[in-house]
Amino acid sequence: MIFRELREFGILGINNRIGRYILRHNKRSNYPLVDDKVKTATRADAWGVPMPENYFVITNFGDLKKLPQLVTNMQSFVIKPANGSQGNGIVVVSEVLKDEKGWISFRRSSGKIMNMEEVRHHISGILSGMYSLSGLPDTAIIQQKIDMHPVFNDYCFGGIPDVRVIVHAGFPVMSMVRLPTRDSDGKANLHQGAIGAGINLKDGTTHNAVIKNHVVEKHPDTGHLLNGLVIPHWQEVLELAARCYDMVELGYLGVDIVLTPDQGPILLELNARPGLAIQIANQAGLVPRLEKIAQEGPQGLTAKERVALSQSWF
Amino acid sequence: MKRLTPWIVGLLFLIPTGLLVYKSQVLNLSLLPQKVDDVWNFYISVKPKDAAATSVAFPIPRAGDGLKISEERIRGKGFDTLIDRNSDSAMLTWLSKEPMTKRVSYTARIDITPVIVRKIDKDYTSVYPRQIKKYLKQPVLTPEEETAIKLLEGAIFEGGEDKSLIARKAFYYVHEEIQRNVKFRTIVDALSSGKGSPLIKARLYAYLLRRKQVPARIVAMLRLPLITDSPVEKHQLTYASEVFLNNRWIAVDTNRGHFGERPDRYLVMHHHYEEVEKTIAKSKVAYTIRADRAVMNKFNKEEYRKDVLRKGSFFSFISLYRLPLPVQNIFNMILLIPLGALVLCVARNLVGIPTFGMFTPILLTMFFRETSLSFGLFFFLSVVAIGCIERYVLDKLYLLAVPRMSIILTLVIVLLMVIAFTGLAEFFGASHIGYFPIVIVTAFIERFSIMMTEDGMVNTMKTLLGTLVISILSYSLYSISMLEIVMFTNPEMLFYVMGLLVLIGKYKGYRLSEFIRFRDLIAQVKKKGTA
Repeated sequence: MIFRELREFGILGINNRIGRYILRHNKRSNYPLVDDKVKTATRADAWGVPMPENYFVITNFGDLKKLPQLVTNMQSFVIKPANGSQGNGIVVVSEVLKDEKGWISFRRSSGKIMNMEEVRHHISGILSGMYSLSGLPDTAIIQQKIDMHPVFNDYCFGGIPDVRVIVHAGFPVMSMVRLPTRDSDGKANLHQGAIGAGINLKDGTTHNAVIKNHVVEKHPDTGHLLNGLVIPHWQEVLELAARCYDMVELGYLGVDIVLTPDQGPILLELNARPGLAIQIANQAGLVPRLEKIAQEGPQGLTAKERVALSQSWF
Repeated sequence: MKRLTPWIVGLLFLIPTGLLVYKSQVLNLSLLPQKVDDVWNFYISVKPKDAAATSVAFPIPRAGDGLKISEERIRGKGFDTLIDRNSDSAMLTWLSKEPMTKRVSYTARIDITPVIVRKIDKDYTSVYPRQIKKYLKQPVLTPEEETAIKLLEGAIFEGGEDKSLIARKAFYYVHEEIQRNVKFRTIVDALSSGKGSPLIKARLYAYLLRRKQVPARIVAMLRLPLITDSPVEKHQLTYASEVFLNNRWIAVDTNRGHFGERPDRYLVMHHHYEEVEKTIAKSKVAYTIRADRAVMNKFNKEEYRKDVLRKGSFFSFISLYRLPLPVQNIFNMILLIPLGALVLCVARNLVGIPTFGMFTPILLTMFFRETSLSFGLFFFLSVVAIGCIERYVLDKLYLLAVPRMSIILTLVIVLLMVIAFTGLAEFFGASHIGYFPIVIVTAFIERFSIMMTEDGMVNTMKTLLGTLVISILSYSLYSISMLEIVMFTNPEMLFYVMGLLVLIGKYKGYRLSEFIRFRDLIAQVKKKGTA
């Protein structure tokens, strides 16, 4: 059987992920809490989980008229669809530009300039549901732009990295950091060619990096060695991830965390259907770890205790 | 929960199996309508060779075992016609007051089924009814023939065999020891050279049997072409035999080696050739015989409908055959959709082929079905081109989503007009294009264009290819005409499909695509392990 090796290495496949983990452990009624970023933000606020500040949300096309007024005094911001996925539909404005006549334009993190009309068009696309998971009309979030933690300076091109932690029943299972490249257009999206670097749960050090399916040793744009990067505030990162389980009660959860220079780790977004590429980044299968938790993971522990157990196991 | 699945799957498989068994065993309904292929349009035209002749006669097929005749028509203005139907055969005679100068003809539709006698018991009959006695008539043989046949009889018969065994032994000899060769036309030639024409082989066979008091006769017939053969323009008479065993005539062909079987490609013209030999000799009459296959692979749904309704059971109520014809046609088509969905599920969940959404491949399949495969593909590719226009032109205009989609919709309609004006649909063999594709296609283009933006050209093309492959696979289901009729006649088989779908839905193993996706990972881990 050609799948023998996959099974031996404990690789988690899509069917298994859905059938055994997502359908079993994630209650459908809790999905909106993670799919809708406005709802996530409200819940996170109540639980004291730090997230980027939402400046305002746009729900009606009519509100687009007020856009120049709303952004005129901002330095930078991010436009996001509330129900987006995989980083689609996100525009990062790193600078709001004004010419002599008072016309506003925007410099994106990639360096491209967008005028007001382009931004309006983009937001109206979000509102009509172009980027939403379901295709239904959506809300646009205008959010605080997160600055990059200096530790990543040599590891990124164009955008900011995020740390993905898979959390099963509240226990951190596996983790990676996603580093943007020129190919990924500055997005921390593995499909588009961002680097995925597996992180050792015990000490927060990267130990292996891949682009798509191939192992890489150096960042293709900065030339920096990818292994041995120590993620700052590692304990806090894991504890934040573990707490998200208590917050949304999804048993199989992808937690995306960004590291800020001043606030430490903050929650970027949650994912109820996290992808499987994390296994490639870590060169390890998820199945043995998930089963260990199912068999030996005690219930009723605090986030801190769960993190400690995970770190002793994995 | 764990026990529920096998129960449900078991039930989904048991229900239709039970229904099918009940239908076939208790109600005695066949599970399919009768197939009506091997119906032939048959045509003979004749003219006497003697210019002064005022009549002409020729054998015509006679309905009976394995032979149905309908739509008989006799042509010949100003002629009296007479059909003489004796026990087994029919002779058609045209009579005229003046010498015949024109050809006269006979046409009919003929349905042949094979006649097979599987079990041939021992036969010790010694007395035959009067009408059979003529088939025992001894041939008049020359002294050489007499000697040769006697010699042969000594070699093949031991004495004391029953009549069935005699018939068999003679069959083996004539079939295997005498090669078919039209140049050898006498018994002596055949016996000395081991070669003989079909007629001489049939004669020899009949003589051998008659000398042992077994009634036998020579059959004049046509051997019609198989479906795989090239069609035959004009048919020639050829010959086979029949032997009377256990009170019935049994077909024998010493040329092609059939004993107790008359295949459905054998059209018997006359069962007692010796009787009409003189009348239809080539010196007497010029004839042309044609036979063309009329219908292929059609099923006799009308008969089946009657059959179902006659049973008056619960099945008469739920049978699709009782619905009006237009409704029937719809179901004929849509009953295969679940099978297409099954293909889709296998492709997506077991193989891991990416597609645009779940319904695009199915709808595309239906579109192919409604038009034609080549036209469907052409249309699909044109639509992809519109998608590219959207991606590269409309994107620059920053339109709101709904007007933008409406423009795409309009472009699709323009495309339909272009197709209509240029006659492209006819060119690709599509009968008509309904309203059906417009909305689906519009939605598809939008998805396509978004995917181009977000996932890039390569991924989009992969998905496009996946969608096409699956659509073509499910479309190929429609080319199995058997499948359509099976589903239509036994729609309870949808339960089987559901059972399979539950099983696929429960599959938690790897997809074939994951084997490729994680191949490098495994190779790398292994390398590390050995290093």
